[in-house]
Formats: sequence, structure tokens, C-alpha cells
Amino acid sequence: MSLAARIATEGASMAQACTACGACVQACPMTHFAAGVVEADPAEVASGMRALLLGEEASPVALAWIGACTRSALCNAACPEKLDVALMMRFAGMRARGALDGAPLLPVKADSGWSARVKGFARLGLTEREQAEWL
Amino acid sequence: MAVTHHPLPAARAVFWYGCNLLRHGDILRLTARFLEAVGVDAAPRGGPSHCCGSPTEQNARITEAMGRRTISAFNATGRGKVITWCPSCHMNMADMMVPETPAHFEAAHVTEVLWERRAALQELLVKPVPVRVLLHRHAGFQPRVAVNDLVSNLLRLIPGLELVEEDEALPGHMCSALAGVPGALAAAHEANLAAMARHGADTLCTIFHSCHREAVALERGRDISVMNWVHLLARSADWEFRDEYNHLRNAEDPRAALDHGALERIGAEFFTQLMEPELRRKPVV
Repeated sequence: MSLAARIATEGASMAQACTACGACVQACPMTHFAAGVVEADPAEVASGMRALLLGEEASPVALAWIGACTRSALCNAACPEKLDVALMMRFAGMRARGALDGAPLLPVKADSGWSARVKGFARLGLTEREQAEWL
Repeated sequence: MAVTHHPLPAARAVFWYGCNLLRHGDILRLTARFLEAVGVDAAPRGGPSHCCGSPTEQNARITEAMGRRTISAFNATGRGKVITWCPSCHMNMADMMVPETPAHFEAAHVTEVLWERRAALQELLVKPVPVRVLLHRHAGFQPRVAVNDLVSNLLRLIPGLELVEEDEALPGHMCSALAGVPGALAAAHEANLAAMARHGADTLCTIFHSCHREAVALERGRDISVMNWVHLLARSADWEFRDEYNHLRNAEDPRAALDHGALERIGAEFFTQLMEPELRRKPVV
């Protein structure tokens, strides 16, 4: 199975097991950095994340929450269903950024100079031999 | 009574240092040296050619292809263990890469390997390091690998070092994640600075490279040091190093602070376009 297919099927499977109780949202340390999430009903925010994994439309507040996820993983410990909510959020973030060919719903951070930049720092900090052997 | 150490057998491994640790050649080199010194023959591999795929998560096909290439390269080495540095790479391997491309090796984080071989490590740590340290912790990787505890325990092996008791962990798995969310990185730095003041700490110890990259500028205008845990181990082992990134990031003029010949080696235009803007970024706090 391809990664894209796994994101779709495994993500949907986890979403079906999710009750959207909102415990993950309440445990999240990033909610105050996501527009509207603190004011929203946690269950509605979680429900929007679940909808995205099921291929349905996500609410703006759910997208804001997904966009602010920094992989703190406190959601996992909070989930009464013992789901890997951090992985659900990861899959949701990938879907929201267009990983499965859909139009991006969240901004995609593209850094076209990243690869060249890190190699530039390697030229600065590593010997030629280290670069030849370690890169 | 004499204590007899029973050293673990030498192991052959790959030291997968990730991509962005290339900004910190000193940390990479010191870590490889520590692994060797505790009996692990760990071949360093990393850079964009050994990417975990996380920079391309907006396209699952590319993420998968990059992960397959990296796992296949590790399989081809015939080494039975991959030692990770980067939490993003470590988690990506489990979540995104290995389910698509089976691995012929086991994975462990570098902190687990060094702690497992702490008897050999401790013999190296001979020089007192009289600093009072706050550990820069994140919450996100801890459930996978108890890295906050492991680094704390490694630091406690250093004579003279005082580690302040502070259990609060910052959000995210490392600072590169926070940097993408407006306000989050500044809040994390403010929390660290407040905790340092509360505990009278003089040194902020980073665990991961992206945290180190973001935190070194906190030294500006403050009487504190920002060091990575590997730097502190190296200081105790009396190994020479210079934190090159810190040196350039905190220089008034990073270009002028380059060593003789470095600009020619990198390329002046390349440095101007791709590296200098990062080094000259205004600190977030």
C-alpha cells in the first residue's frame, strides 16, 4: 500500500474510532496559538479534524488547530479511546496541505533553498573528507 | 573493592544524524566521537540524500520516495542498527518510512545508546564543568524516547555540573515546529528565560539541533550560555571544539566572523543569498 493510500485508509479508520469528545483539544498546549480554538467547543474542533480524515469538509477552527500542531503528543495521553491522536493530527495536516493531491487548505511552507543551505553549512563546518564520507 | 566494568560488545551501526544537524558540524563530530569512544562503530550518514521525507509532507508520493531511498540505503549497509539524532527523523521512520519500506535494522536514539554504555562514557568525563544548567525540554518526543530523562541522566554524569529541577516541558517536539507558529517560539524562550532566572541557572542546555539553532541568540545581552548536551559532555571529556553556529549567529557581522578562506570555500554569493539571512535574523525575544 502506498503512503498516500495508508494516510487515507488508516486515517479514516482512526477517525471512525474517534468519538470527538474533545479531550485531545483540551490537552493541547497550542490552542491559544490557533485562531478561535480556545473559544470553540473542543468537541466541535475534534469533530472537524475527524471529518478531514474521513475526506469530508473540515471547519475553519479545526483547520486552525491542525495548522498549529507542533507534535506535542499530549493529546495521546488524553484520549479515552487510546488512539494515536498525534498521528491522526499528522495525517490530517498532510491532507490539509494537499499531500493526497487535493487543493491545500492550509499554507504550505516551501523553502526551496533548504537543501542547498544545509549543504552550505556542511561546507563551513565539516572537512572535505567528512563531507565525502558522511553526506 | 575494585569495581570491574563489563563493557558492552562493540557494535556496528549507522549514525543517522538527519539533515539540519549539518548546521552544527561540531555537534555532529563530537557525537560521532562519543559513539566511537564507547565502543560503537557508527558510520555517520545524513544530509538531504538521507532525508526522512518530512520537508516534503505536502506531497505523499515524494515523502514516500525519499523515505524508501533512505531505508534502502541503510539496509544496503548491512549494519544491524541505526542510531538516530533527530526526533523528527526518528518518528518519521516509525510512522511513515518503515511501514512502506521494511527495515533490516533496529533503531535507537543516540541518548539511549550512550546511556546504555554509560560506564564507558563516565570514564571519559574527567573534567569538572561548574555550570548551573536548565535543560530545554520539549514534550513531544518524550513518549517515544524518554529523551528528557536520558539527557538529564547523562548530564548528571558530569562532575561539577548542577542540573536544576524543572519538569515543565515546552510544547512541540523541537523548536523548528514552534518557529512555524506565530508567537510560539517567543513564548517558549520567555518560559525558559523565566525558569533560568527562577532557578539561578547560568546555562541553557539544548537537546536537539533546531532548538540549539533557535536558542543561541538568547545569549545576546544576557549573562547566560546556551550549550548543547554534547558540548557539555565534550567539555568534561576535555575535547576541544568551537560552537561555530553560535559564533556566527552572535557575531555582530557574521561575514566578518568567518574563518579565513571560508567565504571562498562556500562561495560569496551563496553565503549572501542562502546563509547570511539566517545568521542575521533578529532574535524572537
